[in-house]
Amino acid sequence: MKALLKGVAQRLVAALAVMFGAATIAFIALQLIPGDPVATLLGPQSSATAAVRRQITLQYGFNQPVAVQYLHYLNRLVHGDLGQSYQLQRPVASLISEQLGPTAQLALAALVLAVVIALVSAVATAGRRPALRAVAVTWELIAVSSPSYWVGILLLTAFSFQLQIFPVAGAQDFSALVLPAFTLALPIAGVLAQVLREGLEAALAEPFIVTARARGLSQNAVRLRHALRHASVPLLTLTGWLTGSLLGGAVLVEAVFGRPGIGALTLQAVTSKDMPLVIGLVLLSAFVFVAISTILDLLYLVIDPRLRAA
Amino acid sequence: MPYRPAKRSQMNPISNNPTTLSHAGPGAPSGPSSSQRASALPLSHLSRRGFGGLAGLALLTPLLDACGASTSPAETSAKPVSGGSVSYAVDTEPVTFDIHVASQDITGEICRNVFDSLIAEDTNGEFHPWLATAWEYAPDLSSYTFTLRQDVKFSDGTPFDANAVKVNFDRIAAPSTKSQLASSLLGPYTGTEVVDQYTAKVTFSEAYAPFLQAVSTAYLGFYSPKTIAANSATLGSGGPVDVGTGPFTFTSYTKGQSVVLTKNPDYDWAPATSAHTGPAYLDQLTIRFLSEDSVRVGALTSGQVALARAIPPVNIKALAANPGFTVAHRSDPGGVYNIVFNAAKAPLDDINVRKAIQRGINIDLDVKTVYFGQYDRAWSPLSPSTPDYDPSLENAWPYDAALADQLLDTAGWTGRDSQGYRTKNGQRLVIDWPILPPAYITDQRDILGQAIQADLKSIGIQVNRPQPDIGDYITEIYGGQTNFIDFTWARFEPDVLWLFFNSASNPANGGQNGTFISDAQLNQWTNTGRTTLDAATRKTVYDEVQKRVVLDLALVTPIYVPETIIGVANSVHGLTFDPNAWTLFYDVWSG
Repeated sequence: MKALLKGVAQRLVAALAVMFGAATIAFIALQLIPGDPVATLLGPQSSATAAVRRQITLQYGFNQPVAVQYLHYLNRLVHGDLGQSYQLQRPVASLISEQLGPTAQLALAALVLAVVIALVSAVATAGRRPALRAVAVTWELIAVSSPSYWVGILLLTAFSFQLQIFPVAGAQDFSALVLPAFTLALPIAGVLAQVLREGLEAALAEPFIVTARARGLSQNAVRLRHALRHASVPLLTLTGWLTGSLLGGAVLVEAVFGRPGIGALTLQAVTSKDMPLVIGLVLLSAFVFVAISTILDLLYLVIDPRLRAA
Repeated sequence: MPYRPAKRSQMNPISNNPTTLSHAGPGAPSGPSSSQRASALPLSHLSRRGFGGLAGLALLTPLLDACGASTSPAETSAKPVSGGSVSYAVDTEPVTFDIHVASQDITGEICRNVFDSLIAEDTNGEFHPWLATAWEYAPDLSSYTFTLRQDVKFSDGTPFDANAVKVNFDRIAAPSTKSQLASSLLGPYTGTEVVDQYTAKVTFSEAYAPFLQAVSTAYLGFYSPKTIAANSATLGSGGPVDVGTGPFTFTSYTKGQSVVLTKNPDYDWAPATSAHTGPAYLDQLTIRFLSEDSVRVGALTSGQVALARAIPPVNIKALAANPGFTVAHRSDPGGVYNIVFNAAKAPLDDINVRKAIQRGINIDLDVKTVYFGQYDRAWSPLSPSTPDYDPSLENAWPYDAALADQLLDTAGWTGRDSQGYRTKNGQRLVIDWPILPPAYITDQRDILGQAIQADLKSIGIQVNRPQPDIGDYITEIYGGQTNFIDFTWARFEPDVLWLFFNSASNPANGGQNGTFISDAQLNQWTNTGRTTLDAATRKTVYDEVQKRVVLDLALVTPIYVPETIIGVANSVHGLTFDPNAWTLFYDVWSG
């Protein structure tokens, strides 16, 4: 238990370092984007007067040296202040917390769906009849290679425009979650199913499976209780990694389905070079990745007793 | 964005009765050359509808009259019914809902339902009473006095009075508000004097002719002084803090999803330009943000929204053939989609090359192909729905590849290199035409650009289309480093010609003159146009400008006329448009 706590403490220190690094890299990246920051901020549609431009420049300190801007920025971060979005004129923290809910909901639903679909597809077909297996592998391949944008439109056309089972867009209730969650889940389910099947088939070839069968366990019991447990360590690693990528995938899905969320916010922030907002979002993603990998490390211990002893 | 003088000759210099006509005469002082002050930044590729006309209410032009394409039985003579709700899908989401800060069209279009103006402009450019029952102005146009209605209340109960006018205008003018459009609409504002509770006198440091037009836009609308005092910093976030006097109240805003507006039951001060009086018919109006074209159209055809704007040309035919819907077309006033030639830079400093390009692009075919026959090709830099459009340009410069070749020979580009491009003194004939980053491209102009590229290749001109970052794009375009500049500039006013062609509108000083040259005639005519209130004079000078820039000097190639295209379910009645072709929901009813 002590070792566990120590591990968690080390993780936390590493997490802070990662987030500091992420914030710094985001800051540098935004500085490298060419063009006058005020012009970029206002976009190609503005008719702001020179006085307004000056006001914006002064207020956001664009006239100061980059190093000074960076230090100011770090200083605020250390004090827990994410600052104010340049373009939306609202506190970054409140923007993110307001938009996080729908995205978290979407990502979580997609994750659960993906894992369930992958489990069913892989467990049912691993090492079984070649025809069935080929069908499963084919759909997985299609799911992995289809752009989520296209899948989204396809699902919308079928289930919203034609059959009218689900609403076209929004985040108002559960029914509005179904199509976007499927859209986001399908490619992930495809990847997970393929990895899981491979692991299962490897496990099923192990001698202990024969032993278990010899003890009188049914084929399904062997699969679910023994083989699956063996195959799930790589699955877990991959799931963790893909969960982080759900945030990125949400950009497209949220745009297609007209859902509020972090994805849409990120797109807007990057396009308008809205520094505080971009950095707030980068910090959020860094945090999510760090949190997931920490949770994964703990889960490995639960699944694989050998790791506990070490 | 520059100002124009208040536009119609019908404007009465001194009159309490807005319908009385009198003429200011040619000696009327000019509006400030506000572009110097207004420094409209970047070229508006996203159709910029400024000041020109958000305001005015279409004089009750019912939707279906307005749209010749309509095939639908929707508009019955049925009596309007109150109640019900309507959803309207739009393609862009406002960055801010603070009308005093915003510069986006969409903010004005949505907020028009929540905020009223002192006066209303109709589609003929005439002004009508709204929150002001009468107005007069000093002979030198340096002050305007408005007599206000006495029965108007903000939806939080605060009475609307002269003090509210002062508080709002002062807020717009304050640099801390960081107003991107409204402050430029206010021009050389010096202050508002509360003469008595219901009389407000707005003063300027110099003559300011365009003020009546400006004050009729939603951007110079009025927040309750109470909400300005309490929530000035958060008005941009939308929701119930945005308290106005309008026919709807701002119930909620879910970022990335929708805006909900609710009927203001106490509303009883509609402008004379509306079809009815009293509260709006609709109980609720929901605006949905659906940026994906196919999703927006699908939401409309599956009945999940009742109206959708920006129907893509590819979908129009099918939608119009669907008996459940009509498609309303309105051509946007102001500057059409123009390719402006940088005549200060080789090779377009040669008029023969410019003319060759004008005649060498098969505009009819390109526009027809890319937009499925739904958009009209343009003949003038002004849209046909703009006052003082010159129809004599139509068919005056048709496609003629042979003539284009001949002109290029005359210009000395007689050589040909291995790839078939023309050369002169060993130099290839190359045009530099940067393209906007994808996020800013509208109307598939990148595809249209490919067609134009192909046309010009066939007469031996190479067109390069690099796609820089938006920051670099703005720098290059405004620095005159490119050969072509393409943009639209929607505005219910021929004064956009000043913006495009007057040398005072120099991009280096924040103007929009993409020709980068100074032509004495064009300067004189466009200055005259913005400083006179005489309709005949304005017509003459603006016709001359259009002929000179297209035919005589070949400074611009007008390509197509952008349109506002709205798909409407048959259950929706009474939709009207303001002079800028923006929707108005006050008279809309559902049934």
